Amino acid sequence: MSFWLYVAPLLLLVFSGLFIMMVDAFAKERAELGMVTAVSLAAAGGISLALLMRDGGMTALPPEIGNFIAVDKMALFFDVVICLGGALSALLAGGYLNEHGHDRGEFYVLIIFSAFGAMILARSVDMLSLFLGLETMSLAVYCMVAFRRTSKRAVEGAMKYFLLGSFAAAILLFGAALLYAATGHTDFVGIAASIDSGAADTRLVLFGMLMVIVGLAFKVSAVPFHMWTPDAYESAVTPATTFMSVAVKSAAFAVFVRVMMVCFGSEATMNDTAGWPPLLAGIAVLSMIYGNIAALAQQNIKRMLAYSSIAHAGYILVGLVAAFRVEELGISSVLYYLLAYTVSNVLAFGSLIYFGSKGKESVHYADLRGAGRRHPAAALPFIIGILSLMGFPPTAGFFGKYYVFNAAVQAGDQYIWLAVIGVLASAVGAYYYLRVLVCLFMESPEEGQATATPMKSGYVTTALALSGAAVMAWGLMPNWVLDYAIAAARF
Amino acid sequence: MIPFLSEHLLTALLALPTLGALIVLFLPRQWPNAIRNFSVGILCVEFLLSLLLIPEIAGWSLFGTLFEGFAIADYSSADYQFLVNVPWVESVGISYKLGIDGISLWLVLLTTLLTPIALYASWTSVTTKVKEYAIAFLLLQVGMLGAFVALDLFLFYVFWELMLVPMYLIIGIWGGKERVYAAVKFFLYTMVGSLLMLVAILYLVNSYKELTGFYTFDLERLHDVILPFDTQLLLFGAFGLAFAIKVPMFPFHTWLPDAHVQAPTGGSVILAAVMLKLGTYGILRFAIPLFPLASQYLGPNIALIGIIGILYGAYCAWVQKDVKKLVAYSSVSHMGFVALGMFSMTTHGVNGAILQMLNHGVSTGALFILVGVIYERRHTRDLDQFGGLAKVMPWYAVAFIIVSMSSIGLPGTNGFVGEFLIMSGAFVSTRLIGFGQWSTIFTVVAALGVILAAVYMLHAILKMFWGPITHKENENLKDMTSREWIAIAPLMVLIFVTGLWPNLFLHKSQPAVEALISDFSDKWAESDNNDSLHLWHPDQHAPEAETVEGAEEAEPAENEPAAAAPNDPEPDARTALLVSPTRTR
Repeated sequence: MSFWLYVAPLLLLVFSGLFIMMVDAFAKERAELGMVTAVSLAAAGGISLALLMRDGGMTALPPEIGNFIAVDKMALFFDVVICLGGALSALLAGGYLNEHGHDRGEFYVLIIFSAFGAMILARSVDMLSLFLGLETMSLAVYCMVAFRRTSKRAVEGAMKYFLLGSFAAAILLFGAALLYAATGHTDFVGIAASIDSGAADTRLVLFGMLMVIVGLAFKVSAVPFHMWTPDAYESAVTPATTFMSVAVKSAAFAVFVRVMMVCFGSEATMNDTAGWPPLLAGIAVLSMIYGNIAALAQQNIKRMLAYSSIAHAGYILVGLVAAFRVEELGISSVLYYLLAYTVSNVLAFGSLIYFGSKGKESVHYADLRGAGRRHPAAALPFIIGILSLMGFPPTAGFFGKYYVFNAAVQAGDQYIWLAVIGVLASAVGAYYYLRVLVCLFMESPEEGQATATPMKSGYVTTALALSGAAVMAWGLMPNWVLDYAIAAARF
Repeated sequence: MIPFLSEHLLTALLALPTLGALIVLFLPRQWPNAIRNFSVGILCVEFLLSLLLIPEIAGWSLFGTLFEGFAIADYSSADYQFLVNVPWVESVGISYKLGIDGISLWLVLLTTLLTPIALYASWTSVTTKVKEYAIAFLLLQVGMLGAFVALDLFLFYVFWELMLVPMYLIIGIWGGKERVYAAVKFFLYTMVGSLLMLVAILYLVNSYKELTGFYTFDLERLHDVILPFDTQLLLFGAFGLAFAIKVPMFPFHTWLPDAHVQAPTGGSVILAAVMLKLGTYGILRFAIPLFPLASQYLGPNIALIGIIGILYGAYCAWVQKDVKKLVAYSSVSHMGFVALGMFSMTTHGVNGAILQMLNHGVSTGALFILVGVIYERRHTRDLDQFGGLAKVMPWYAVAFIIVSMSSIGLPGTNGFVGEFLIMSGAFVSTRLIGFGQWSTIFTVVAALGVILAAVYMLHAILKMFWGPITHKENENLKDMTSREWIAIAPLMVLIFVTGLWPNLFLHKSQPAVEALISDFSDKWAESDNNDSLHLWHPDQHAPEAETVEGAEEAEPAENEPAAAAPNDPEPDARTALLVSPTRTR
């Protein structure tokens, strides 16, 4: 089969991005662009899905690009995750931007280009393509955060994110440079071979690895590199927050897995006592504990979800740490978790969007008081999403959490404590997730405060219905996607 | 139809309320009465359906002639009946495996009996959001039944957690003033315990994989994993914590009074009568058989905690002013007896513990309904607000006193049989090794709990019913209505039936209990010379039988011995039975 098929999703996105930019200049009704964006992302994801489901070998790319981006099932799996997250965010944007008067076409173009960057990032096998993908993805996201350009908060959040993000990218680049200095390679396999052979200077390698980890940990918002997360999540328009929390995070984790397992997969950088596993285990523990505890104190649901996304980064890192011992199980648990997290988070943010009508967004717990009693059907996706984030059976989130902790238990006795801390932290997490349900169903609005009413938007409803169905289906029948996650857990 | 039903009876029991909840979802909320009638109707059908689980009582066949071709469940063997085993998530060894034996049989029937009663009893007290209330009840029943019949640890965990949400909503939406606090406390307590249990389950499955090379969550297979003693202690701790919180055992009981006092009547009934049993059932079904060494080692201490719970609960009940809180604390006391009985590890003790679970469900359920009756009339549960009620509500007084007597354990009522069996089991128990000669003394101390029960119940009866009428509001109270009688009557009948003919119940659970204890003793005896991770029946864990493809291929060959020896006690024949869809034909 021609190798063009494997770059088709990428090319499709580039061309549809350009197309939307052009249409935007002439179109009157911009919400339609949301549909166009969602469809093109879905098409790109669909191609990847078809390739993923197809048995048989892969066609190697010509070396001009094959040295930089990989063709493997993991890349295809992440294409699906990123395109799914992007398409659902675009649908949410179609309803949200229209309702709140931010109706400008750039948003959709940014989503598409950012998804393009994310897909490059997820399949990069070279430090150069990694950096290019990362920046393509991030620059678009910075703009999305600042999309509400008249709002001071939005600009502040975007500025913070941009500055910190640039620093993180610079640190990552510095790390890559050190690795190049030590090994003479920029491609992951070359770096690994050089470390393996013992030719590389260990100190330089370790420093380089540390800096790469810092840069990546920033992108996945793991403690202590999480500072930007709450501000950026809060100040961005909610569809942008959704996109950041699902597609960007997934892509960053994809490359995290790839770098750790391929680039630093040799004995010198990966063992029980030194190298990245203990380091990432520490970061995971900090993220799980800090994320969950800090989320307790929030009044703003978007901030709460930001801290919860920090905690979720911690859970996913547990899977990554476990991958060092039980490679296939660990990586497939990361993949499954990200897929489940994508749809659950779309449900949570989408419901938040759904409960905000013109001129009055619902972002605080207080805004939601009694809304579930008044509109039980509209609150159903919210319940499902919250339960899935909480890790409650029979949702996809539960199975994801189970599978990640399972990987930690299998990784050997000294990693069980990661699972124990993880479950205890998620018990703390149950408290703030429950508060959403408490506000929706058990409290009444204060005197004179209007109950939040659901908006009327086919786009938002569609996104919620799709992701709600996915959360339930993948929770009840996890093997529908688990088998692909396991198949994709190879490079 | 009939053979199909007999093969899928347990699935049908789970599917019916789910289906009912779906239908209620589409009933218009303007018809609260239709919703009530429909959901109680569904639950009644469910109860009738669950009666099919017992083919005969005392030689009298219930359904033999009516349903020709129906698989006759045989509780005289310790095997699981009505087995269903369908792979669910094959790559990690999770299956949809259900089954029922003498231990879970009565608990399932208790659940199906009490859920309609609880819903019917809260007919008028819940007037807002009737639709959601009915849905919550139906789903709650699915969760509880599922947890009782699941034989796959993963599936069990799913059901175990699943029942939390409806109960959380029932307390939090339809509860009293402090309902949100109580609901969240209930939820978090239970969740902390069960999450650690999840890690323990994972560890156990991992150990099985180390031994045999494949994953399974099948309880029957995991039974055969003998872990080293230290590991058992940790895992037993994780399982035990989850169950002890649910029971609730003494130091973990603090969520219970809050939850009970705030919950609406129907919620309290289900909480006390069924959900608490899941804790003790879990100990009996999972914690003890899976970790025999640890439960042997810790058992005496837990029995001791049970005794502390008996006395502490009774003492707390004595000083309560709120009748509902009094009943809630009496639950702590009664469940202490169950813990004592289970860890005595004698046939009498364990069988008595199972009976006591039923008794407690029936008596406490009835008490909560009766407390709800007076609360609906007076909107208070303060003992000081009552007095002389026997003059205005004589029939109510009769019902209340009968139920209280059963709760105290008066001979002739159900409470007596259960507590007597437990104490006679604990008295002679050699398993309470830590106790040594003390087991006698401790049993005597536990018996004090019965006296204290009489003290606090009679104290409450005195304050409520006798003496002059001190409050004007009490003068014109209406006596029990026919609806309230209908709700309470089956329970009162059961109180006497169990009290007078306990063998009807004990007979069915005895074989399962005996098998449990002999299995436990064997493992304990063997542990003296082998404290490493190993398999109990290593020859019966061939991976060929496990993989589903293999099983289906091997089916024609295994089918024949399976049909020839349906009651073969050998577990490998049992596994052959599991995978054979033609088992009952």
